[in-house]
Amino acid sequence: MTHWPGRHQAYLAIGVIVLGLAMALQITQMPTGGGYARVGPNFFPGLIAAGLIIAGGALLLKSTRSLGHASPTDETGDEGVPPVPEAEWRGFALVSGTVLAHLALIGLIGFTLSAWLLCYGICRALDTPRRTLDLILSLGLALGLFHTFRALGVNLPAFIPGVL
Amino acid sequence: MESLNALFSVGFATALSLSNLLWALLGCSLGTAIGVLPGIGPAATVALLLPLTAGVEPTGALIMLAGVYYGAMFGGSTTSILLNTPGEAGSIISALEGNKMAHAGRGGAALSTAAIGSFVAGTIATVLLTLLAPVVADLALKLGPAENFAIMVLAFVAVSAVVGDMPEKGFVALFIGLALGMIGIEEQSGQARFTFGILELTDGIDIVVVAMGLFAVGETLYTATYENRIKSRLERITGSIWMSAGDWRRSWKPWLRGTLIGFPFGTIPAGGTEMPTFLSYSTEKKLASHPEEFGKGAIEGVAGPEAANNAAATGTLVPLLTLGIPTSATAAIMLSAFQQYNITPGPLLFDTNPELVWGLIASLYIGNVMLLVLNLPLVGIWVQLLRIPRPLLYGGIVVLATLGAYSLRQSWFDLLLLYMVGVLGFAMKRFEIPVVPLIVGLILGPMAEKHFRRAMTISQGDITTFFTRPGSLTILIIAGLLLVLPPLLKQWRALRRG
Repeated sequence: MTHWPGRHQAYLAIGVIVLGLAMALQITQMPTGGGYARVGPNFFPGLIAAGLIIAGGALLLKSTRSLGHASPTDETGDEGVPPVPEAEWRGFALVSGTVLAHLALIGLIGFTLSAWLLCYGICRALDTPRRTLDLILSLGLALGLFHTFRALGVNLPAFIPGVL
Repeated sequence: MESLNALFSVGFATALSLSNLLWALLGCSLGTAIGVLPGIGPAATVALLLPLTAGVEPTGALIMLAGVYYGAMFGGSTTSILLNTPGEAGSIISALEGNKMAHAGRGGAALSTAAIGSFVAGTIATVLLTLLAPVVADLALKLGPAENFAIMVLAFVAVSAVVGDMPEKGFVALFIGLALGMIGIEEQSGQARFTFGILELTDGIDIVVVAMGLFAVGETLYTATYENRIKSRLERITGSIWMSAGDWRRSWKPWLRGTLIGFPFGTIPAGGTEMPTFLSYSTEKKLASHPEEFGKGAIEGVAGPEAANNAAATGTLVPLLTLGIPTSATAAIMLSAFQQYNITPGPLLFDTNPELVWGLIASLYIGNVMLLVLNLPLVGIWVQLLRIPRPLLYGGIVVLATLGAYSLRQSWFDLLLLYMVGVLGFAMKRFEIPVVPLIVGLILGPMAEKHFRRAMTISQGDITTFFTRPGSLTILIIAGLLLVLPPLLKQWRALRRG
């Protein structure tokens, strides 16, 4: 398949333009009251939406400029496009899953247990070779933080109040 | 010499109280400990440790955070030199040259010249801050909303267009930051903007969540996806930690030159520490008696940029304290720390809160001395932290980040935001989009809007007010030149080349 070097960057630029357009759409639905001297609460966001569209457009232009000299090579472009290292999406998915599990569980099983899971999950996502040790150290870290913050007067959700 | 009077009578009296000395020591130690961790720069360190200050009174908390900031700068040098993983743009040069020195068995000298250079630069820059800040604050009092808005525009342009090789990317980051800053209730009209009916969004997006999302979660996502297989090599400190007479001879001038280059760059909104460190490096290379050593481990190439880095970091406190304008990511997070206590940095701060501001400045002198002691004889302790295996390190950092985000409001919603900003940070890193403009835009955007609307109100809706007032016109012209000149220069150079 023939790629042009800035292909991914062009998608990003399009994303930025879409964000700008979505913002502009939101602004049109905002009530205009409360403004004085021609500047209401939607004036500044309007400038920003325009800025997003222009900056995204400029980036798109720069990315597609390399379309003219498309080559069947990989995506190591010269238009400021970084070469793409090989992605391991398993790592991304594991980190994401762990963080999302943590936010879902923190209210149910308390900080210590959910932070234990979070820390160990990240270790596994980063392919730790010392699983048992990291499992123990993760628990130590979560417990230590829980009690440090308790001493500082920050109350975190607990599974067993005052313990973990 | 009014400022010296205030420094000694108010500043040191505040900073030398036992509790404030302890806060400074705690801040310096924690800052070094977290700052030394690979991949964690000063901005991330301050954001990660911000929740710790929640229960501390404002002066102590800000003294501690200043210690954290300085400590993270010192700690970052150690990591760059021994591990070649710069935590922020300002340490790239020391990673380049210092790591070569360490590789050649001169790690001790590299660490020493970095630490002593940072001390010298930090101290001289703090003297300059002491003398300059009240003068700038007086000047700032004369500025109207139009000028303040123009200065913010200048800051936006400078952080986006000047740093990095593609201004388009800088502006994309800036406008994303500005857009995020618009979320929440607008102060003047009480109008909710971009909240999508979500109650948690009415307070706006906290900069701590954004900083930790970008630096901690985004960084972890990136490492897990792209850098899991990369192994970094920790250099051992062999030989003496102290510098030889020859090292001193070769270092002292670069320290002073680095300071002189770094400080002014910090005070102007030019995006922080990246440019002055590169400038210092090229200056030293030109002036060196052994330019052939550069790239292979020249001590001048560590001494100068490290001094420039620290001087610039101190320099950023001038616009932060006198105008309330942050010009780097770390300064933006420091500003949010002030806001946490309902303190607005700006020209009036010197009158309304002299203990706080002079105590803070005095603590910088003290912190510099503490850090020299913490980092030279005790460097071995911090090096142990570099041995923490990467999986556990990132696990710990993400836990700290989630803890910081959650403790803001005890809401899982902030954790979700943290993750979403993390994904954004991941994408930005993948596409090499700078994060500093986003952070500066996020925190300065609402302030710029406020000044813009005030100026418009005063001029009764006449937008030409920004161009008819000489002050704001001059600043806007400078901003325009910053925007237009670099690409023109690039084209001109390309034309000359052929």
